[in-house]
Amino acid sequence: MKRWRYLLNKISWALFTIIFVIILNFFLFRILPGDPARAGVRDPRLTKENIEAIRVRYGLDKPIVNCFESLNPIKLGSCTVNPLDTQFFIYMGNLLQGDMMISFHTNRPVTEILSERLGNTILLIGAGQILAIIFGVLFGMFSAWKARTAIDYGSLTISLVAWSLPTFWLGVILLFWGSNHGMPIAGMSTPGMSSYPLLSQWGDIAKHMLLPTLTYTIVYMGEYMLIMRSSLLDVLSEDYILTAKAKGLSVFQILKDHAITNAMLPLVTIIAINLGFTVGGVIQIETVFSWPGLGMTTVEALNRRDFPVLQGAFLLIAVAVILSNLLADLAYSYLDPRVKTE
Amino acid sequence: MKQKIFYVFVLAALILSACGNLAGGQPVVARVGWAGSPDTVNPGTAILTEAFTIFGLVYDAMYKLNLDGTFSLGVAESVEHSDDGLVYTYKIRDGIKFHDGQPLTAKDIKFSYDLYKTHDDFPYINAYTTYIESTEAPDDSTIVLTLSEAIPNLESQLVFMYILPEHIWKQYAEGSAAAEFENFEMIGSGPFKMVEYKQNEFVHLAANKDHFATPPKIDEVIFQTFESQDVLVQAIKSGQVDMIMEMPATAVETLKGEANVAVVNGAPFAPGVSDIIFNQITPENCPKDAGGLCTGHPALQDRNVRLALAHATNKQKLIDVVLLGYGTPGLTLIPDGVGLWYNNTIKDYEFDVAKANQILDDAGYADTDGDGVREMPDGSKPLIFRMNWPSDSIDAPRLAELLSEMWAEVGVKTELQATDPDALTAQCCPVFDFDIILWGWASDPDPSLLLGVQSTGEIPSGYNETGYSNPEFDELFAQQAVELDLETRKEIIWKMQEIAFNDVVYIIPYYEQTIQAYRTDRFTGWLTDFAKIELGDVTSMVLIEPVK
Repeated sequence: MKRWRYLLNKISWALFTIIFVIILNFFLFRILPGDPARAGVRDPRLTKENIEAIRVRYGLDKPIVNCFESLNPIKLGSCTVNPLDTQFFIYMGNLLQGDMMISFHTNRPVTEILSERLGNTILLIGAGQILAIIFGVLFGMFSAWKARTAIDYGSLTISLVAWSLPTFWLGVILLFWGSNHGMPIAGMSTPGMSSYPLLSQWGDIAKHMLLPTLTYTIVYMGEYMLIMRSSLLDVLSEDYILTAKAKGLSVFQILKDHAITNAMLPLVTIIAINLGFTVGGVIQIETVFSWPGLGMTTVEALNRRDFPVLQGAFLLIAVAVILSNLLADLAYSYLDPRVKTE
Repeated sequence: MKQKIFYVFVLAALILSACGNLAGGQPVVARVGWAGSPDTVNPGTAILTEAFTIFGLVYDAMYKLNLDGTFSLGVAESVEHSDDGLVYTYKIRDGIKFHDGQPLTAKDIKFSYDLYKTHDDFPYINAYTTYIESTEAPDDSTIVLTLSEAIPNLESQLVFMYILPEHIWKQYAEGSAAAEFENFEMIGSGPFKMVEYKQNEFVHLAANKDHFATPPKIDEVIFQTFESQDVLVQAIKSGQVDMIMEMPATAVETLKGEANVAVVNGAPFAPGVSDIIFNQITPENCPKDAGGLCTGHPALQDRNVRLALAHATNKQKLIDVVLLGYGTPGLTLIPDGVGLWYNNTIKDYEFDVAKANQILDDAGYADTDGDGVREMPDGSKPLIFRMNWPSDSIDAPRLAELLSEMWAEVGVKTELQATDPDALTAQCCPVFDFDIILWGWASDPDPSLLLGVQSTGEIPSGYNETGYSNPEFDELFAQQAVELDLETRKEIIWKMQEIAFNDVVYIIPYYEQTIQAYRTDRFTGWLTDFAKIELGDVTSMVLIEPVK
């Protein structure tokens, strides 16, 4: 019962935060200066009629909300306006139906753009995270077990270096190296592959993923390895490990049954938070390798003042962060009985 | 550790790529790298030049634009116009087919022109229909255009009005459907047809070997998007692409040392110009109804000050530092890239600091308090100018620093500030709440657009960004707009450039050049002998063939 209450509590807070983000998002982009209908077009021949027609197409001719007229300069409406005929309610109504309006820059539905891009990003960070976790945890364990030996110092140094490498710099170095070895350095597929069998299409994507995933793995592996090492060292200094050793358990048994679960706790938090942030945070890798993911789309939308896409992308990123925090909370309550379900 | 991971990757890649080599036959594919992507492939709503590059390959139009700035007939085989210049009759070629096999007739042309004209929400193309009163197709091979005014530059309007297939577009013709139509299939009649378009990834085109005028010699062309220009350079070095449409000037030397890569530079295909905008609006001309504040420094309304600044500006140094030499000194808002309309007889103000100082001394701007900054002749206000530029500009910060140093030599102080582009637009015009802005224009092949920007009529609309007003210039502007004789019109337009230059409406620091590169071991036939360089344009793409 208590667990359910805990769960419900966490989920309702997450929902509340998401709603807050949606509302904030909406007003954030409308306070910015400039007219999206004119962004990108600086041409004397663009008549008043053109600008008006473009505004109508994007729904920008309607007041943002009704009432609060005194709060202008952001073009709020008067109280006589039907609240259902304001940008805010139209936006919310559409969002409830899963429709995020039309991109100002490409004139395509935002949901369509974002779902394509989100998939590409998840593919990249999914592969990168899994590899980084596997190698980070393994090396971290190894390092902690062999603490204060040459092996430990060696892998510690490498991890520290890897973690502190600027992502874009590592990406560019790998890109130069890879391009001299015939690896694809841009995009996620070779044009013309879509007529090939599915298996070779996947092979082609895997080839394109190689360098970006490698970059991602190296950077995050260092972090995981360091955290795993220090938290495992902590655990290994506990009395009950000494007891286990005294009982004559093997190294493997001690690690598996007594140390790892406890040492994993801090790592779970970091992984969960990383997962959330990387949805929006692989911008550097995506830009270096021209990977058509969410990060690249966000940058592009920002440059073009493509508010609907930005709104959508921000919402996705916010939801990702909130959801992964929720997951971390839940996982914690499962992994660590000390986290009281209050 | 890195090594291990790497081997795992290589292994995975090898296994997966082994399945990839199943292709039969060897089509000749030209791979082009660029740092952009079309915003859309719907001609109605497109804004970016990348989109227009693709349109030029996939669609036909009434005219083709040649690299020397002239026009030749496209789908039409002949044209006649009435004596008053208001009615144009085009004879359309027989046997032109769209990529889906349907014939292209005058009906499609009428449909396309009407579509462009009736859609106010098409930002660019709608403007080209301004002077077209009606389009009629009396039969399948005749188009009759009736104009509202006898304009001399109909070619430059029609060249971007691509011919769309009515049988596909008619279901999207009404309301917002036309703007929202994604047009991924992109059925046209041009020398290339669409195979696959993935935004921000690539545009994959195949040759239309049955094209009536210019069937390509290659089989396919792929435009691939790279997010950064430096990666483009690496891609052509390693042979992953055969041509790149843009590159940073800093990489030119590296690439020139590379075997099998040729670097070319020249005026860009789409005329572009950087300008130093002086707020010279007079209190009488201040567009108060349009929100004009007109807070410009009074000294900039004096031609002497602007002239002195022109003499104090070392354009060659600007070109060498900002563009690493890849530019030509600018004269007026009409760039050398527009070809015959560019007045190349104007002699630039020589760089001469002493002369600049002399001009300011003679005009009464003296430094009375000895702080190194001159004051107004009445001693009221020091010559301290605000200088702004759009914060997304890469070149402007360096340009501003250099100008600030150069002008300090003649006792003029500048306060530098990068500004958000939208905020700058709001500050600029028609509000005129600035002193100096570093900005620029891109334009049509026809010069009337950039001439109009200097006319009094465009002050309230905000497109006249300097507030310059000269009745003689306005009169000539009106004349050239209806002058049908090419030579006479050219004379008028050259005269207008002279006037604007003598009045120092702007200081044009430079005309930036395009730098492109291609691999010499892959394709030959690129058009590199013209003043303009645009290897990705249809003019080159239909000519190139593989190196034997």
